[in-house]
Amino acid sequence: MIKDFIMPSTLEEGLNILSSNGKDSIVLAGGTDLIIDLKKGKYSKEIIMGIEHLKELKFIHIEDEILIGAGSKFTDIVENKEIKKHVYGLWKACKSIGSPQIRNMATIGGNICNASPSADSVPPLLALDAELIIVGKDKRRTIPLNGFYSDKGIDLKEDELLYAVKFHKPKENEGISFEKLGLRKALAISRISCSVYIALKENRWIKEIKIATGALGKYPQREIKIEDLLKNKEVNESILDCAVKEMCCLVEERLKGRSSMNFKKEAVKGLFIKAFQDALKEATKHEKNQPDNK
Amino acid sequence: MKKISLTINEKDYTLYVEEDLRLIDLLRDQLHLTGTKEGCGEGECGACTVIMDGRSVNSCLVLAVYADGRNITTIEGISQGEGLHLIQQAFLEKGAVQCGFCTPGMILSSKALLDENSNPSREEIREGISGNLCRCTGYNKIVDAIELAAKNMRGVSK
Repeated sequence: MIKDFIMPSTLEEGLNILSSNGKDSIVLAGGTDLIIDLKKGKYSKEIIMGIEHLKELKFIHIEDEILIGAGSKFTDIVENKEIKKHVYGLWKACKSIGSPQIRNMATIGGNICNASPSADSVPPLLALDAELIIVGKDKRRTIPLNGFYSDKGIDLKEDELLYAVKFHKPKENEGISFEKLGLRKALAISRISCSVYIALKENRWIKEIKIATGALGKYPQREIKIEDLLKNKEVNESILDCAVKEMCCLVEERLKGRSSMNFKKEAVKGLFIKAFQDALKEATKHEKNQPDNK
Repeated sequence: MKKISLTINEKDYTLYVEEDLRLIDLLRDQLHLTGTKEGCGEGECGACTVIMDGRSVNSCLVLAVYADGRNITTIEGISQGEGLHLIQQAFLEKGAVQCGFCTPGMILSSKALLDENSNPSREEIREGISGNLCRCTGYNKIVDAIELAAKNMRGVSK
């Protein structure tokens, strides 16, 4: 039963509220996930704290490190030309979320914290080895996104807020991709998603690779086993084939007993190949670091 | 109850609303602006689309308290009193309206698109209305209508 709705004027005010009322509060950002649940009576908390308007959470800073405020709308991320140029996989993932109306309200912080297994912004962030900056009253900590989700839930205390997500800007010879399978082109929850980050040496040698999937488990996750098969190897059909077979086995094992398993273990093959090839393409694009011609 | 002040279709309002009141309910039930429709209540169909501070949003997912200080345009507001907006005219001319239920939301998404991009490709139009479902027309005539509206709007602004 909602008894109060508070909209703090500043982040500091919000953190003070959470410090004393965190356990009775739900934090509401864009609302595109929570409003539906609220209306269904899913939450028994008494206080909603609306943070949608907090300017301190809305920013995209791009230098050698990219810092995106948790309150950034997906539309703002998608309209950012530098994000599209340097972090194509993340850009593509954000663009694929919902619809224009959803992207105009939904925030990257909300997507991360709502912890849906098919949250689309998360696989690319995992593949980028992103870190989360979490704040509370008079406290701040930075943790890897890989580890934020567990069977116990998310690593965010009742008196804390997600402030920002950060990751290194991919350099030349590095690229990141994103692919998803959904039932339609828009307004589609991912049935499977995959993001691949590759760092190349001499065009066909994989110096480093990070693979993250969505909707293949309770939460988006890194696929270390597959990464180990491909790391420090030359790109060729045979190792890719090996990785695809391993991916298929992994899905079969993980989703054993679920009705979606037979579809997903087949579908993941093509999805992974596409994500891998796109990441290669991104990593070998030489115009990435050229100044814009405008 | 919370006090909010907002502008809807260029008219200023100061209202008292329940904390969990959705914008769609404020518009339809309290202000009797029933042009905005509720198709699903989950942000999946776009029938409830309105424009808030220049961007299209699903009013079934926006709390009225979030609309405080904002500028809202509903379907009632796009023609600005006299006659039909060029987008509405184009929809009628191209046969893009059948049952009409998706139409208000579809037109507002079109307006939001054309306000940003005055010469969209058909692909860009489809992306622009990708958050609006239509069960009747098959979308082609809607895309034709938006293309025509864009052309006419460019003609007027010269």
